[in-house]
Amino acid sequence: MPMPVSAEYRSKVHKPDDFDAFWDDVLRQASAIPLDAEVVPDPLRTSDDVEVFQVFYTSLERVRIAAWYCRPERRAERTPAILLLPGYQMDPPIPKEWARKGYIALSVAPRGKLRSNRQFNPGYPNLLTHNIVDRHTYAYRGFYVDTWRGIDFLLSRSEVDPTRIGVTGSSQGGGLTITTAAMRSQVRAAAAGAPYLCGFMDAIELTHTYPYEEINDYLRLHPDRRPEVEETLAYFDGISFADRISCPIIVNIGLQDNVCPPETGYALFDRIGAKDKQLYPYDGHGHEAGRIGSSRAISWGGR
Amino acid sequence: MTPEAFRGYWQDTLGALTRWPARPEIDVLPLRSIAFATLYGVRLTSLGPYRLFGYLSIPTGTGPFPAIYYPPKYQSVLEIIPQGTANLQRSRYITFSLAGRGQRNADTPFAAMFPGLLTEGIDDVASYIFRGIAADAVRGLEFLLTRRELDAARVVVVGNDLALITAALTSGATRVVTTPALFYETTALAPKTQAYPLEEVNDYLRMFPARAEAVRRTLAYFDLRAFAPRVTATTLVMAGARGTLLDGPALRPLLTALGGQATVHDSEQSSYRDGLYAERWMAAQCGISDVEATLPEHWRTG
Repeated sequence: MPMPVSAEYRSKVHKPDDFDAFWDDVLRQASAIPLDAEVVPDPLRTSDDVEVFQVFYTSLERVRIAAWYCRPERRAERTPAILLLPGYQMDPPIPKEWARKGYIALSVAPRGKLRSNRQFNPGYPNLLTHNIVDRHTYAYRGFYVDTWRGIDFLLSRSEVDPTRIGVTGSSQGGGLTITTAAMRSQVRAAAAGAPYLCGFMDAIELTHTYPYEEINDYLRLHPDRRPEVEETLAYFDGISFADRISCPIIVNIGLQDNVCPPETGYALFDRIGAKDKQLYPYDGHGHEAGRIGSSRAISWGGR
Repeated sequence: MTPEAFRGYWQDTLGALTRWPARPEIDVLPLRSIAFATLYGVRLTSLGPYRLFGYLSIPTGTGPFPAIYYPPKYQSVLEIIPQGTANLQRSRYITFSLAGRGQRNADTPFAAMFPGLLTEGIDDVASYIFRGIAADAVRGLEFLLTRRELDAARVVVVGNDLALITAALTSGATRVVTTPALFYETTALAPKTQAYPLEEVNDYLRMFPARAEAVRRTLAYFDLRAFAPRVTATTLVMAGARGTLLDGPALRPLLTALGGQATVHDSEQSSYRDGLYAERWMAAQCGISDVEATLPEHWRTG
């Protein structure tokens, strides 16, 4: 077996003093933009038990964001909802499976993803380092807001129970789960798997695999820009967001994760502000963080 | 579908491909080049004509080097090497990953949708999108084999069904690592799952029930069992965990039909354990003794 991972790893992430002010300003800009949501039935993907819709809404810089929206054919007047957030390279899935479990489910394609890349398309690889020297234009500034607006969309739906909204995802989806739970108080439960975007500068030393390797590539070509890169990433690091999380949350990590080093998962968990938090480290598992077999996820009684 | 019809369809497809020279353009990508490997962006022509894109990584040194070819995956994104693979893999192997038509960097004029690609034109075998994508995969291997740094005795094709299809349609692959997902008994297995990508077939037939026979006919030309006897490369089949749709027992007919030596690995439901098995298998097959050096940090034992 590989060498054991230290749960005592100390991240180098330092939350900037003006972190809250920075994001308050971003949120202020976003709130001035109407959601302007379109909900388009998708008969091809709709089945007897699940209705499927294509959703489009407007986000920061008026970028149009696509999402899949599924709801159980048979449901209560007010149904719990789940926001599903995608991995770095994956194409956002149609969340029929969640609808079959009884949830209304929204699967968002943040800017640059397939179906949301007409106005913004830095590519994969490249998203991670797009404008990485400037926090005001860094790719993930809008990307994060795109996911938070997914909560706004769910809240705009009469069939959604606003007191039972959860968020989940793995890898980049896990990192986005952290940032969304931190920035949207309406989130009542969160489950993050193998969280990416947490401990960027730690991760690029702990592992040399893509996608984090994109940052190493960038710094190898532009070593003089390291201070700006570090400055920017501190504003986007999930570890910087973690103390704002107050909802119940679980975090799954794989101790042989070859993409998101488990050390960063421990460091993230340590900084999470919620009182009700659980960490599930899976030994013998990689980036799937035990998801295939036994990973914990959100559930609500009386659904 | 008769064996003659299968052979004729693919002969016609490959014949049409030969009418379009690859005309490769190869450009260094300094951002992704490192002391131990140089990365190139490659553009080349396939059936259509259609211009494709790939990432070619060549190790530093004199070679010849073993090579890993990654034919088009079932996703929009093209990776240099698969996510989570140690970048140091590029120090030991030539790697070439190809975007088929519709994937990023090869999405003009056709941009594929995911889900959606699996049923694009599926009611007509002559125009089914995967006819072109299979040709793309063949063209990619043909291009890779032209590289003088390559050791032609150690060429591994790694991917989903297209890895096996590529090895069947053209010579040059000496090893195959395949994870069937799209084209193994699709007509029979799709109704047993609600999971994508096979759910795409269910969606399509729910919408267009009158096209069921046409879909069945098309898929017969892509079934892995029909390709298997033509695969002479030593093959590792990555099966699903026991009890899943594409587990070892379900894939048994495929294994017995393969023309070369075959091994099956049943998923242990751990990307670490499964990934480690495949990395070690490839290294052993390619005579790479220091496999630890090509593993991600968190998989190494020392």
